[in-house]
Amino acid sequence: MTEIARLLGTVWRLVFQDYRLIAAICIFVPERGRFLFMRYDAFSKCHPLTNFLFFLGAIGFCVVIQHPMYLAAGAVGAGGYYLLLKGRDGWKRIAGLVPVFVVIAGLNPLLNTYGERLLFTVFGRPYTLEALYYGMAVAGMFVVMILWFGCYSMVLTSDKFVCLFGSLIPALSLLLVMVLRMIPSLARKGNQIADARTCIGKGVTGANSAKEKIAGGMQVLSALTDWALEGSIITADAMRCRGYGTAKRTSFRIYRMTARDWVLIGTMAVLAAGVLLAGGTGATFTPELWIAPPTWGLAAYGAFLLIPTLLYLQEAVQWHISISGI
Amino acid sequence: MAHFHIRDLTFSYPGAKRPTLSGVNLTIEKGEYVVLCGKSGSGKTSLLRHLKSVLTPYGSRSGQVLFDGMPLQQVSQYDQSRKIGFVMQNPDEQLVTDKVWHELAFGLENLGVDQKTIRLRVAEMASYFGLQDWFDREVATLSGGQKQLLNLASIMAMQPQVLILDEPTSQLDPIAASDFLNTVRKINIELGTTIIITEHRLEDIYHSADRVVVMEEGRVIASDGPRQVGCLLWQQDSAMFAALPTPTRVFYQSGAEGKCPLTVREGRSWLTKTFENRSLTALEPEMEPEAPKKRENALRIQETWFRYEKQGRDILRGLNLEVPRGCIFAIVGGNGAGKSTTLKTICGICKPYRGKVELFGKPIKSYGASLYRGCVAMLPQDPRSLFVGKTLREDLREMCREEGPIQAVAKTCEITHLLDAYPYDISGGEQQRAALAKVLLTNPKLLLLDEPTKGLDSFFKGKFAEILKKLKAQGITIILVSHDVEFCAEYADLVGMFFDGQIVTTDTPHRFFGQNSFYTTAANRMSRCVFQNAVTAGDVAVLYRKNLEEIR
Repeated sequence: MTEIARLLGTVWRLVFQDYRLIAAICIFVPERGRFLFMRYDAFSKCHPLTNFLFFLGAIGFCVVIQHPMYLAAGAVGAGGYYLLLKGRDGWKRIAGLVPVFVVIAGLNPLLNTYGERLLFTVFGRPYTLEALYYGMAVAGMFVVMILWFGCYSMVLTSDKFVCLFGSLIPALSLLLVMVLRMIPSLARKGNQIADARTCIGKGVTGANSAKEKIAGGMQVLSALTDWALEGSIITADAMRCRGYGTAKRTSFRIYRMTARDWVLIGTMAVLAAGVLLAGGTGATFTPELWIAPPTWGLAAYGAFLLIPTLLYLQEAVQWHISISGI
Repeated sequence: MAHFHIRDLTFSYPGAKRPTLSGVNLTIEKGEYVVLCGKSGSGKTSLLRHLKSVLTPYGSRSGQVLFDGMPLQQVSQYDQSRKIGFVMQNPDEQLVTDKVWHELAFGLENLGVDQKTIRLRVAEMASYFGLQDWFDREVATLSGGQKQLLNLASIMAMQPQVLILDEPTSQLDPIAASDFLNTVRKINIELGTTIIITEHRLEDIYHSADRVVVMEEGRVIASDGPRQVGCLLWQQDSAMFAALPTPTRVFYQSGAEGKCPLTVREGRSWLTKTFENRSLTALEPEMEPEAPKKRENALRIQETWFRYEKQGRDILRGLNLEVPRGCIFAIVGGNGAGKSTTLKTICGICKPYRGKVELFGKPIKSYGASLYRGCVAMLPQDPRSLFVGKTLREDLREMCREEGPIQAVAKTCEITHLLDAYPYDISGGEQQRAALAKVLLTNPKLLLLDEPTKGLDSFFKGKFAEILKKLKAQGITIILVSHDVEFCAEYADLVGMFFDGQIVTTDTPHRFFGQNSFYTTAANRMSRCVFQNAVTAGDVAVLYRKNLEEIR
């Protein structure tokens, strides 16, 4: 029993306490935001670099700082911005995160038995208050990060990403753009093939055994491959037709840095420096609970996180004033 | 100086028995609008591909292609991509990037143009082609017509002097197609860009062509103004005559003489002038007997409602439809009206949330998996979605292990000579028939066809119609969905108009199209001023001759 618990504890630490892993997972989460409803937003209209630096700061601080008050500020900032972007639908997602928070927070003491104040024992192992607090901090961080990445995928769309990193690696950025273009087209063709095969009695759902289902799936895949290869010949022709490879490629960027972007980046830099210089972000949970007293760095942190929300409000107010002016 | 000068061009693909192009001589002047036509496989595409080095196919060749007086091979790739624009058939596969604005900029990026110029050119193109509203969209969300317009715009952004279009509208519906062709015409007139275009739907472009070039078996058999070419094709009894616009065909088929009409307007004035102040004896073509009220139904749909998403709009809104056994039933109607969804409902892919669907008197749900074994089968819009094998024979074997039925079906669909070919190597019309063969191997009693004439030239259409007649004679009920009113008028037994999620009206072709004034065939539109209910070119020609004999 204890062996299993120890093993689970290792996995637990790997998954939830190694931030790098979470960050890596979140970055590779496909951009679901692209096809979903997103409300009008002022921050999204800024230059991709501004967007990117903001998320770098917000997510970076969130990963590094475990101080509960900073986490609370993060939750308010991320939750608020998420709701601004998604509107009423956002509540569903946030409500869905509550059980995630509870489960992670509640599970941590089962696997992490450090701590002084004993609440009760489970399977002969101590369940401590410190470990519970630690679990809450980890869970909070996890939830806030999910929210930030949710905003990230809606604001920093693929074309913005390509615009940012396109000039670093031009060939790779074109490849990325082409892949992004292929995915929906392949999905559509795949569906077409599956439907067409259903109509001649070769559908995967109509098959009897698991073996037939796999065989049917393979047939769809092979048909899709043939089709995609034929298509790629045409795409290659179309590219060469439009002079691909005849000169040194430039990469056209539709976004422009404006004065406002520079002001925003400057503000973010000052606030971030404030957070770092003010200190008071430390907190340890096990074996002994210790939380640093908050400093003015917390205010700087809060202001940093509220930038998109404030931008939204500012534009809303301005709009309102200009309308009443008419 | 001529733009393109083709001298004695002969070309054959490696291993081919006869040359694809033989002794082609052609001169194309600056600013000309040239329509190139010919049956599938007559060498049109090969000829066009010789006008741009990167697309020129491999094979043995003699002769010369001069561009602005210089051999084409000596013109640098950079200049060629700038000056010669090429639009291909497939709207989807020509797109390279994921965003509309990026697609517009792609060619200019390749040429190494600077930011400022690209910004200006992209803005210019978006305004000229009316793309502003979908400038920020993902290309995946565009319709076929929009995609093809984007392809055209992104090539025009490079400001080419010549625009070559290889069957650009074959995958589009008629409205999108005529939009596209009008834009091409506008480019020719307003910018003076030379246009070389191949098309099989000549109706929209024939009259505006400066010159029509007809190809047959790799040779240029005619190169002249549209009226002269029409006359020539009639005199030579060429297979290409069937592809000419309806007014022209009616004119020659009725044995009239003089200046032949090219558009509906000209056809109308020709008919009006001929029969001015004369009493007509025959007003109507022979009508089909009225459809009997009580018949055995192959399909009955009652009060059916369907939508794709919970929050989405209803695609089928109380649809009622009855299709009698053993007939060819055509459903016509606008784009996105729900015609294809109707077919999907009949074959059980879309499950309606209200209403009844009955096949041969039994509810569709009671069939289970046996639905697709000998009851219903559908030929999808894109035949390529059915091919899984390396040869057609392999594909047909997937459906049926015995050789007998395969041979029989191959014979019906006239693909016996293609059985060992790779499905992607054969032409669109042949692919269509091969896919049909595969579908027929399920022995359906009810056959559903989704846009079966899309991308087919007049010759393949005729062939396809013959096959449908054969199937009908075997007792198979056929329901087809189509934009092609000419095809439906000619070959369907019953036509239903689909609008707003319902079948609005159903009647025999003559009664159906005779009553409509917009949604009807060109023959009907040109002849309704003198005759009634004449819907096919044949109808008008027969009536014309009858009346003229009476008058004489």
